Amino acid sequence: MKVLKKTLMLAAIGSSLFATAASAEQVNLTWQMWTGSDADTKSWQHLADMVTAKYPDIKVTLTTTGWVDYWTRLPVLAASGQLADIVSMQSLRMPNFYSLLEPLNDRIAADKFDVGAFTPSIIGGMSVDKQLYGLPYDVGPWVIYYNQDALEAAGIPLPKPGWTLAEFTDAAKKLTKDGKYGFGITPQNYSVLASAWGDKYINDAGELDLINPSAVAAADKVIGFAAKDKIAPLVPSSADAGNVIQGRFNSGNVAMYIDGPWSIIGMKGKANFKIGLTTLPRDQGELSAVTAGSGFGIATTSKNKDAAWKAIQVLTSPEALAYLAEGGRALPARTASQSSWYKVAAKDITNGGEAIDYSLAHSVPYVITNNWAAVENLFNQYFPPAFAGSADAKQTMDAIQSLAQQ
Amino acid sequence: MRQLSLWQELPRMEEDMSESAVAELPLQPVQSRRFLKPETQTAMVFLLPSFLGFMIFIALPIMASLALSFTNWQLISTPAFVGFQNYIKLFTVDPAFYTILSNTLFFAVEYLALNVIVSLTLAVWISSLKHGKAIFRVIFFLPTFTPTIAASVVWLLIFTPDGLADTIIRSLGLGLPNFLLSSSWAMQAVVLVTLWANVGYNVVMFNAALDLVPKQYLEAAMIDGAGPWRRFWRIRLPLISPTVFFATVMTAITSLQVFDEIFAMTRGGPGSATATLGFAIYQKGFTNFQMGYASALAWVMFVMIMALTILQFRMQRKWVHYDE
Repeated sequence: MKVLKKTLMLAAIGSSLFATAASAEQVNLTWQMWTGSDADTKSWQHLADMVTAKYPDIKVTLTTTGWVDYWTRLPVLAASGQLADIVSMQSLRMPNFYSLLEPLNDRIAADKFDVGAFTPSIIGGMSVDKQLYGLPYDVGPWVIYYNQDALEAAGIPLPKPGWTLAEFTDAAKKLTKDGKYGFGITPQNYSVLASAWGDKYINDAGELDLINPSAVAAADKVIGFAAKDKIAPLVPSSADAGNVIQGRFNSGNVAMYIDGPWSIIGMKGKANFKIGLTTLPRDQGELSAVTAGSGFGIATTSKNKDAAWKAIQVLTSPEALAYLAEGGRALPARTASQSSWYKVAAKDITNGGEAIDYSLAHSVPYVITNNWAAVENLFNQYFPPAFAGSADAKQTMDAIQSLAQQ
Repeated sequence: MRQLSLWQELPRMEEDMSESAVAELPLQPVQSRRFLKPETQTAMVFLLPSFLGFMIFIALPIMASLALSFTNWQLISTPAFVGFQNYIKLFTVDPAFYTILSNTLFFAVEYLALNVIVSLTLAVWISSLKHGKAIFRVIFFLPTFTPTIAASVVWLLIFTPDGLADTIIRSLGLGLPNFLLSSSWAMQAVVLVTLWANVGYNVVMFNAALDLVPKQYLEAAMIDGAGPWRRFWRIRLPLISPTVFFATVMTAITSLQVFDEIFAMTRGGPGSATATLGFAIYQKGFTNFQMGYASALAWVMFVMIMALTILQFRMQRKWVHYDE
């Protein structure tokens, strides 16, 4: 009996030890993310550490790449089977890459995860066919940045959110003088402005339709800013037309341009004038402000999907988003956390919170095709000659439509 | 030469051996004995890293790209065999292909001609200098040290509308359009920047070749009354023709592959005025995720480069003079 007792006791001790060891088994997750600076990387590392703080058995190893390289590396990593467990994804790239990510709807339903806490447009942006593929951390509507000093000097009242295209054009005309321009435009602004005006460049079947009258009319207005009204400087078909225009805004050569709230943090100290924010100009109807944002998904190739699901919930938790917002890093995708971003990032920007609030209240998902990167490249190639007056809106849209379908 | 003497000596060695000795010798093919020569073994050991590198990083990717050109691989999905569909689409459906092809050839021909003429002219001028040869060689060679992308971004700012180039053009009253916005002039901007960035390499090479031309030939020609142009055309150019040939072949190959300047300065635009094969391969492969189609384009480029190089090697017989 004694022997049996001892054996049973040893077995019990052994099994309990085994069970303890199993429950404490470390899960190592990898997370691939883009970064723009050391401060950025530190923020992401802090978020990775937050995961371990909540779940001590999960360790997240962060790997970072520059923004442009990230999107070149992502398909290469996928093709070579080296995707991280947690994959960072921008909403505009989601239609290209959603097949690399695990659908989340079942997990959301099982855990009763509150998707309603996020701004609806970014949930739409992170979804494909009503299936959510990533939890978002930030959201941003495109807005107009303006040089408040220039507007005041020209006697133009500061624009109110919801201003019209006519008011915008009038202001830009008054601001265009002495070699300076009222508005800085890039080819990629086409789809953002067309959406804001309610013009459709994608048909009901989700296919690119740049040659319908509505899409061509929007192109005519966009091209007209440079070609007819001459209120916008010409831009080349280069890689960084956006940076060129942002540089011209910062140096005071253009008074207004289109950008997202994510650019505010990088602007500080670059412009020596007061900066204000307002909404995109609306046309006849209400404003439809498209938004973009980013979040984190779980790779379909991950061997630790359950742990990755726990981790991305922490990475997009109210605490994590408040931390990012307080650092001015991102306008949180969670509605409740957005006020902390306004207090920090937008505090020196005139009407910053007001413009973003209005835009978010009128926000819609950015409707794009699954070859959107190719379409944007074609915008970049074919709009500049139209801006210069070498082609009209119809010819431009015909060329892009034809080449985008190859 | 050594190989030949060994072959000649082998039969004699066998004749000297007795029949029994021959019977006792293991049957060993002559070929394998040659492979086992110590110097062959040493050579193979030294060649092995390069050979492995070549196989892994050049031969295999080349074969892989050929195989991929017959698929519809989109990088993030499994490739499916589509036969010659990519090539058929390229030549019969793609509305941009022939524009891309003609842009590539136009750039290659213009850039090659300008590069050889400009670099040769500069090299002759530098070699004629009594002082400061080294300084000028350094000045012209410096841009080749600069990363092409960085140089192209600077040139982009120069050529950008209302930039420095526009200001100069306006102040000189030349009446030219902005280079990067004009379908006719955009390629000239790319040629100019590529020339600026790369001409120094050939200048230095031609300069070195010119310095090696024996002085006595030129002095004899001068005594016979030959002028500078005649001396260049009849003596110096023929004597440096192997260097000119090498430079021409290498420059032609790189010009057909032009990418950096186009990527940074024009992204193939305005319209498709500067879209070349090198840029189209990148765009189709890494932006549009049509890796199979991009591989087909790469093979078209390969065939073009190969054809041009063969043509150049054939034509060299008529104008390249080797010192025998």
